[in-house]
Amino acid sequence: MGEIVIWALVKIAILFGFALNLSAVLTWMERRQSAMMQDRMGPVKANISGVTLWGLLHPLADALKLATKEDFVPPKAHKAIFVLAPLFAIAPVVMVFAVIPFAPPVCLKQLTAIAPRCVAPEHMQIARIDIGLLYVFAIASISVYGAALAGWASYNNYSLLGGLRASAQMLSYEITMGMALIGTFLVFGTLEPGELVLRQSTIAKWGIVQQPLGFILFFFAAIAETKRAPFDLPEGESEIVGYFVEYSGARFMTFFLGEFLEIVFVGCMVTTIFLGGWQAPGLAADGLHIFGLDLQLPHIAVVGLGLVTFTIKVFIVCFLQLAIRWSLPRMRYDQLMRLGWKGMLPASIINVIITAAVVLWMSSPVKG
Amino acid sequence: MSEHEPTPTPELVTVKIDGKEHQLPKGKNLLEALLDLGEDISYFCYHPGLSVAASCRQCLVGIRGSMVPSCQTTVSDGLELESQSPTVLDARRQMLEFTLVNHPVDCVICDKAGECTLQRHYMDWDGKPSEIDHEKVEKPKKVDVGREIVLDAERCILCSRCVRFCQEIAESPDLVFEYRGNHETLTTAPDRRLDNSYSLNTVDICPVGALTDKDFRFKIRVWELYATRSVCNGCAAGCDTEVHHRDGRIYRMVPPKDWDMNLNWMCDDGRRTYKSVAAQRLTRPLVDGEPAELDAALAAIKERLEPLLAQDRGAIGVVLGADASNEDNFMAARMAYDFLEAGHVYLADSPDNGLGDDILRRDDPNPNRAGARGCARGDLGSSEDLARDLADHKLEALYVVGDRLDLSDETLGQLRGLKLVVVQASEPSRLTDKAHVVLPAAKWAEVHGTITRTSERAKRDLSASRFGRMRPAVEPPGMARPHWDWLKRVGAVLGVTVEFESAHAVFQEMKKQVPFFAEAQWGGKIPTVMLRFAGRRG
Amino acid sequence: MPARTKVVTVKRGLWENLYLPEIVRGLGVTLKHFFINTLGPKSKRQIVTIDYPDVVRELPERYRGVHRLNTREDGSVRCTACMMCATICPANCIHIEAGERENPASRDIEKFPQVFEIDELVCVVCGLCVEACPCDAIRMDTHVHMPPVEHRKDAVLEKPELMSRGTKSIAVDGGAGPDWRDKYTDLGSLTQIYRPDHIERDRERPARR
Repeated sequence: MGEIVIWALVKIAILFGFALNLSAVLTWMERRQSAMMQDRMGPVKANISGVTLWGLLHPLADALKLATKEDFVPPKAHKAIFVLAPLFAIAPVVMVFAVIPFAPPVCLKQLTAIAPRCVAPEHMQIARIDIGLLYVFAIASISVYGAALAGWASYNNYSLLGGLRASAQMLSYEITMGMALIGTFLVFGTLEPGELVLRQSTIAKWGIVQQPLGFILFFFAAIAETKRAPFDLPEGESEIVGYFVEYSGARFMTFFLGEFLEIVFVGCMVTTIFLGGWQAPGLAADGLHIFGLDLQLPHIAVVGLGLVTFTIKVFIVCFLQLAIRWSLPRMRYDQLMRLGWKGMLPASIINVIITAAVVLWMSSPVKG
Repeated sequence: MSEHEPTPTPELVTVKIDGKEHQLPKGKNLLEALLDLGEDISYFCYHPGLSVAASCRQCLVGIRGSMVPSCQTTVSDGLELESQSPTVLDARRQMLEFTLVNHPVDCVICDKAGECTLQRHYMDWDGKPSEIDHEKVEKPKKVDVGREIVLDAERCILCSRCVRFCQEIAESPDLVFEYRGNHETLTTAPDRRLDNSYSLNTVDICPVGALTDKDFRFKIRVWELYATRSVCNGCAAGCDTEVHHRDGRIYRMVPPKDWDMNLNWMCDDGRRTYKSVAAQRLTRPLVDGEPAELDAALAAIKERLEPLLAQDRGAIGVVLGADASNEDNFMAARMAYDFLEAGHVYLADSPDNGLGDDILRRDDPNPNRAGARGCARGDLGSSEDLARDLADHKLEALYVVGDRLDLSDETLGQLRGLKLVVVQASEPSRLTDKAHVVLPAAKWAEVHGTITRTSERAKRDLSASRFGRMRPAVEPPGMARPHWDWLKRVGAVLGVTVEFESAHAVFQEMKKQVPFFAEAQWGGKIPTVMLRFAGRRG
Repeated sequence: MPARTKVVTVKRGLWENLYLPEIVRGLGVTLKHFFINTLGPKSKRQIVTIDYPDVVRELPERYRGVHRLNTREDGSVRCTACMMCATICPANCIHIEAGERENPASRDIEKFPQVFEIDELVCVVCGLCVEACPCDAIRMDTHVHMPPVEHRKDAVLEKPELMSRGTKSIAVDGGAGPDWRDKYTDLGSLTQIYRPDHIERDRERPARR
């Protein structure tokens, strides 16, 4: 019993250390990357006695600034909901990380040995539940409350309109997101993320190869769910103010952090479902077998390499999300809805039908 | 003043100007005739109101091969002259250069800049750097020559306009030239100062900035001013004037540049009357000495006057103002005779001061005594009559229009016993201290209206010009309004609906009803214009 | 004349309507810049911004900065309150109240500005005041950009502050005299350009009479 608790705490520490730190780095990366894409310098000023670390201290400075800012509540706002809304926004994002498998299963008894076959593996995900992906959808759809309630509770017409835009957008794209994954479920035959990763042992078996259309649909629907450009209509800070316009200080920081955690989570999801999770080409349980190389590695090194692989993949997907944000212009709301309902949803349904037909044909006795 | 005598139609003769034949009146001043034809001829010393000196030699024309000042020549039959030929223009340019030999060209600090004749001619005709290669003669600067005037002798171009003005118009030879040639200098005559009562006209006619007005000196540049045509309210003469103002502040009053009935002159005292417009003013209605809102003041009048109207109307007195416009007095008279049926109607005026002369000024310091009398039906009581009636307790209420009612302390004390004293005045006075209700009135420079002039010349001239037209130059301060507007409002609360939209409407009604004003003219629209855009000055 | 309209039809085929290829193309453009600017050789990097205020771009010689008022050789202000600048100012940001010197020596200029204020927030930095000034009194060649202010009234520069940047003018008090043509054969030397480091030098310069 005690062992389970310790394992849980260790996994929580690793995953959240990873997610929170990555989202903090992303706040810096978003600005520096956009600057580099636009031939600017970006933030490089924050320093501790002259040491700037390429501006990496900016997230720290931002956090300090936001934490010490005035906490403003509009006089006519609904106090309780106004205070709770940021938590509604961030809590689901934090919860869904529970099912992400971030490293190969660990065999505690064979840590230093070369272990082609694992005895009593400890799976590196906080919660290993059979309906893991359904859990993700169930929890993620709660986050729409954060936006809608924040907009309503602020007692500000602009906030309310932003909240309404957020609700409609997130509900619309959730359907596409779910439909896009059905093809994947059909191919892999499991809803458990850890199992999903295990079944993507080679690149040919990766989700992105087996379900390219599903990958594109899921990726863009997920970006729409995170409310980022080109789908940043709920909160277009430069032109159309959005649902958290009345928020400041720590409460604003909560929304802000939630948004970047969502980026990280989309990165984790895409990695897990479509990019083979911690699986790296040639990385097997007993070592590296690639380009004729036949390297025997102890189990702990294999786990470490898996973790690094996972991190790199997540990072690349996050980078891609930021690049998309700074490359594409914001859509108009009618274009957004048309794309969602008349473009992506039918495409995802077609994807399901084709996949189902192919899977049926592959497993049919006629072929077999 | 002979110019204004009706002259018989002159005989026209043929004159050849630059090879072109023109029909010009025989005997006319050639410069005037050429200017009438629209010829562009520069001149400094010639002035239509003064004798001819021909000292500046700027208006040269070529007659039979020699250069002759046109101002000193008369139109004669068969005259042939060159006005715009290269030789003549060259001669004028050279004369201009001579004129500039000792002029310091300190336009940047000169108050005349912008309306300076020398500056204009230089810009129009010359525009070259100086060719003179010797030092300029230094002459006295900033000489205090009179009560109102500072002289900068270096700027003087010795045109002698001011000297002639003092001799011929002001009949007070205060200015002379001393020394000769290059060192000739304008100065005051021995034991005299430029202190005649028309001295400021020398500033206007000075073609350069040699004579400047102490009061106006360095206040503002002329091109920044706005000009509004109005009428001087300094005395009964009612000279036409241009009020120069900017941003609600009046800077000076000058005679209009066009040839009008007061001969382009104004007296010094008249020019200073603008100061009273910006003096301490009543800006709010007062009820029993306390500031009140407009409605409260009118309600107080209604409350206290209505019981009297029901009783003996003979105990109500109305005082017309000799400083109020015709329209104001017409409204006051209508109220007194037609509505209040007041038993006593008086005229408040200031007594004659004996400052009148044969030039412009009248003894009567009231701008509109004649107009107030013209509005009256029957005789108007004087302020002595008013004091007597008060002492005899014949009055219960008194309604005063204007600032001119000057009563003794004793009489003012008796005012306290009345049931209601209403005063429409522009400035606080001993009278407004005693009044029950005080209504702040606008001054002459803030209203539209007409006044009736009594100048000698006006009597002789067209009857239309017996009436001078005031136009608003500045906004009235605070809640101050024209007298006629207050009378309209007071009438309205008492139940008389007299709907006049403007002073012009009052004027038209007055012209219809009062024979005295049958020939009065409202006068055309002369818009307020910024001097920068007012065409050529100087 | 009726308004002329031109109808431009954007051709969008299936390829463009798929969005995806065009998105990839767009990403290609931005990512090219990204990688050149991060990983490319220093010579090819295209970053155009500078690390202001640690690095300051050099202002052009004729840059119009905060106004200054030049002084005469005795240190008094050259301005004679002629109002040329206030008259030409298209923004009406110059406010001058003229005064008269109490006891001027006989050749002194009697008029001077008692109040000389420029509202730098209203100023449109057109430089017409400098063009209009007949006395070389007002200049904008300070190379000083108007610093930010907390209150609007702080942006109204008054005479002492305007004069604090002032230097002696290259013009000669009272004029160069009737033989100026002989004295100044090389007019080019009179049109040298002012730099902040000239202030000290100009203060040291002996009076030219």
